[in-house]
Amino acid sequence: MNKNYIYLTLLLIVLAGGLFLLPEKENYQHMDPEDLMWSIVQPTRYVSTDQVAKRIIEGDPTLELIDVRTIDEFEEFSLQGAINIPIDSIMVPEYQDYLGIEDMSAVFYSDDDIKADQAWVLAKRLGYDHIYVMKGGLNCWIRTIIKPERPASTAAASEFELYSFRRGASMYFTGAEIAIPDDEGKQKVQVARKKKTVVAEGGC
Amino acid sequence: MGPLIPQGIITGEWDFVIALLLGIFFGFILEASGFSSSRNITGVFYGYNFVVLRVFLTAVVVTMIGLLYFNYMGWINLDMLYILPTYLTPMIVGAAIMGLGFVIGGFCPGTSYTGVAIGKLDAIVFTAGLFLGIFVFSEAYPLIEGFYNSDAMGRITISEFIGVSNEVITFGFVILALAAFWGTWLIEKRVRKTITEYKFD
Repeated sequence: MNKNYIYLTLLLIVLAGGLFLLPEKENYQHMDPEDLMWSIVQPTRYVSTDQVAKRIIEGDPTLELIDVRTIDEFEEFSLQGAINIPIDSIMVPEYQDYLGIEDMSAVFYSDDDIKADQAWVLAKRLGYDHIYVMKGGLNCWIRTIIKPERPASTAAASEFELYSFRRGASMYFTGAEIAIPDDEGKQKVQVARKKKTVVAEGGC
Repeated sequence: MGPLIPQGIITGEWDFVIALLLGIFFGFILEASGFSSSRNITGVFYGYNFVVLRVFLTAVVVTMIGLLYFNYMGWINLDMLYILPTYLTPMIVGAAIMGLGFVIGGFCPGTSYTGVAIGKLDAIVFTAGLFLGIFVFSEAYPLIEGFYNSDAMGRITISEFIGVSNEVITFGFVILALAAFWGTWLIEKRVRKTITEYKFD
């Protein structure tokens, strides 16, 4: 019998026996506190009310709005297509089925973003990805989407674009009609006629 | 640090690249261990060649010990590893069918491909049968679906099931494997008169 087999046998026994000497190690089941801290300080979890409004209007099927307010508040007013998971029920396994859906981005919202942020941290700690918070919550929603303020006349053109989007979104969500002043949209159309050019035909 | 993909260190798209590399190495090791020959493989059932049992038990034992040390060093988080869900009765029946195919055909699915790679006729026939079997199983799936999903125990490990720590299970398994190595060596020596010992250089 080759001696090396005996050495290998002893090595395996020593290695396996050495396992008993290792101290107990607690693995964090869901997320390391340090990782959690890093993801909490990232602003990337926020989506703006404009982004949410745009995705609702476009009928984005990957958007999952989660209202973390109470059932009464949810029934009184909620965003279109939102589901209600009150923040104290977020640990209920049946509700968690709504969080881990592949390719869906879950956006939490509440009146402001405090409760939504809390829900986000809980969900993150439970190990879910693709979760976001609507920045400013419903208060910001009302301020920006439902009753947008007209920017000052000296504001940048991009702000006017944003304003016109918000006006449109406001119409979409409230069904309100917007009176368009007569002078708007009545610019004189400049018709640019193509200059006639003489084309050499044939010959070449 | 690990596992890399569940911790988001690399993205899930790397799955295929890693699978390809691992597959190449796995095939290479199978071929190098002589698993592309059905004689080597079925020898375990007739008692003249236990190389299959030795290679796979070595792999299992090294992995078990390695994972526990890696977990201790913080290189891998054991709790994040994927565990195949257990369906006890269907798995026992499936293993029996697989073993039957093993002893009749002389290959398991992985080794049959290494056999095909080096042009073994029996491996090519076996692989054709393998695809036929997959087709029949898929077509018959509605009939056996109930049994297939029965006896679900979820993602459970042996240590969770009997309530003993991983270290004890591993140590027990190492002793079992060593006993198997030495025991099968004795059986082989008795069955096969002209046995050659592997020489360490």
